[in-house]
Amino acid sequence: MASISSPDTARQNTARRGLYARLSIGQKRTLWAWTFLAVPILFYVVIRFYPTGNAMVLSLQEWNLLGDRSWVGLENYRTLFSDPVFWQVFRNTFVYLLLGTPISLVISFIIAYHLDKVRFMHGTIRALYFVPFMTSAVAMAWVWRWFYQDVPIGLFNNWLATFGISQIDFLDSTTNALPSILAPAIWAGLGFQIIIFMAGLRAIPRTFYEAAEIDGVSTWTVLWEITLPLLRPTIVFIVVLSSIGFLRIFDHVFNMTTANPGGPLNSTKPLVLMIYQTAFSSFDMGYAAAQTVVLFTILLIVSLIQLRLLRDR
Amino acid sequence: MTQLILRDLVKRYGETEVLHAINLDVAEGEFVVLVGPSGCGKSTTLRMIAGLEEVTEGEIEIGGRVVNNLEPKERNIAMVFQNYAIYPHMSVRRNIGFGLKTAKLSKADKNARIDEVAATLGMTELLERKPSQLSGGQRQRVAIGRAMVRDPAVFLFDEPLSNLDAQLRTQMRLEIKKLHTRVGKMMIFVTHDQVEAMTLADRIVIMKDGHIQQIGTPAEVYHAPANTFVAQFIGAPAMNLMSATGTSSGVRLWNGAKVSMPDLSIAEGREVTFGLRPEDLKTNEGDVLAGTVTVAEPLGSETLVYVDVDGSEIIATAPGRTPPKAGDKITLGLSGTDAHLFDTDSGVSLRAG
Repeated sequence: MASISSPDTARQNTARRGLYARLSIGQKRTLWAWTFLAVPILFYVVIRFYPTGNAMVLSLQEWNLLGDRSWVGLENYRTLFSDPVFWQVFRNTFVYLLLGTPISLVISFIIAYHLDKVRFMHGTIRALYFVPFMTSAVAMAWVWRWFYQDVPIGLFNNWLATFGISQIDFLDSTTNALPSILAPAIWAGLGFQIIIFMAGLRAIPRTFYEAAEIDGVSTWTVLWEITLPLLRPTIVFIVVLSSIGFLRIFDHVFNMTTANPGGPLNSTKPLVLMIYQTAFSSFDMGYAAAQTVVLFTILLIVSLIQLRLLRDR
Repeated sequence: MTQLILRDLVKRYGETEVLHAINLDVAEGEFVVLVGPSGCGKSTTLRMIAGLEEVTEGEIEIGGRVVNNLEPKERNIAMVFQNYAIYPHMSVRRNIGFGLKTAKLSKADKNARIDEVAATLGMTELLERKPSQLSGGQRQRVAIGRAMVRDPAVFLFDEPLSNLDAQLRTQMRLEIKKLHTRVGKMMIFVTHDQVEAMTLADRIVIMKDGHIQQIGTPAEVYHAPANTFVAQFIGAPAMNLMSATGTSSGVRLWNGAKVSMPDLSIAEGREVTFGLRPEDLKTNEGDVLAGTVTVAEPLGSETLVYVDVDGSEIIATAPGRTPPKAGDKITLGLSGTDAHLFDTDSGVSLRAG
């Protein structure tokens, strides 16, 4: 039996459900949105923003992890900027960035561009490129360390010896060590970048290429004038992400130079490793915090510049 | 003299044959529409003409030259795609000019050519805009402009109006027809919409399952459909088909009603399919069939009435001003001379020509 509630009952219902029932649909939606957002917001405030703020405060203090914190003002920064090791580390970090990002971008694009056209064993090949990304950086670093050993242990030097070429000091030379560490770092990140590039390539409608084919333009023109401009958002994403990755490089360096972290003679030491050593070898937390703030600033500036440069006009 | 000839054209993907030896001649300046339900091979045919799909067997000849193994750019054709395929990061000018990239013209000549095309299509003031700032109809015009700028011998259209809303579609349809009159080039147009086919074409090619069902002018395919498929595909609402048996003077319909066929003789007792367009069934004029109206669809100028006649649904048209209502009992009059007869098994028309 259909029953229609009288106006009186309806009013009673409203009264019973109270405040919530009186909200408009828009207000109710807002309320629910904030209810659900509350969890991640709480997480971010407690786990992310509070420590960040704390680190900034700490950078103006001196603290050995156990005793009291004492204010030192900008002393930590003054020490940092007059420390020659910092400038060496600063330079290294930017070498990782300026070599790593473009090289990995170009290699991953070339692989993705061609892999996109391969039908034979497509899935398997793609998986093979993705494996290094899933592998533990520590395990990988140690395998590469073995590759780089001297004759008769190291793989690369054994090859060189087979062809009668004199062996190369990969990790023990101040000039070769950084590129030698960068190589596996680039290799490890390729899989991810290739997957992203391929997704970007797949998103370009096929008719764009067919129209170009009918217009009879060259493959080169298609690449430069259609594929790359349309991949712009993908490229921005990869450049920003991989830049942040290379500016924060740590595990590859740490694991490939364990005997002398960041060596030889600080020639491979990145900023994160310096922070780690200041904090957990020298227990100079305030100084480490100042270095962290500098790294944070660099990351922020680099990301903002890239976004500005690469943003769609 | 540009002529397009398809000779026993076959397309196979692996084992599956999707196009079964089709033959077609298109004369210079002709507007031919390939129409059929999805999967009938019409787009495949167009893409083979364009050179985007390889020819498995048979020949494609454009302007007296077999083009089977020529690249698209060497075929002197241009194509307009369903999703327009205009590049979002280029201005309208660059989009239109993209087709001139390989042309051996000076920059000034190229620009003059682009301006000329833009003027023809009435979008001179849109040249510096990006596609995102254009409406659907304007984007379609850019796509047509890019085809025009190269001055090809053959224009190919792959369902170019399908992404537009109904009103814009009607408008663009008219523009394409006007464009054809103006440039006078051969145009091959693919669509699944029979109204587009009827309104645009000089000749319609109706396809189904990789076979050509009928080639003819819009009037021919409408008034003399070659088989039951064409009869039902062309014309909205579709033609009524009823089973019937031959008699001495005409046919006897499935419900026993007798229709005399003065201009056709059918062997007595032969099973045939009797077809009649809704507009040839006159409500309340004559009483060959009688039934109850189940649904009335007023269209303004006329009303479509769905009539239940002895368990079968028959569509008829009634005048727009005094339409019957659902539940009304009405009679339907018809004349044997308007009727189409088809062989029941093969579906082929029994009217010659």
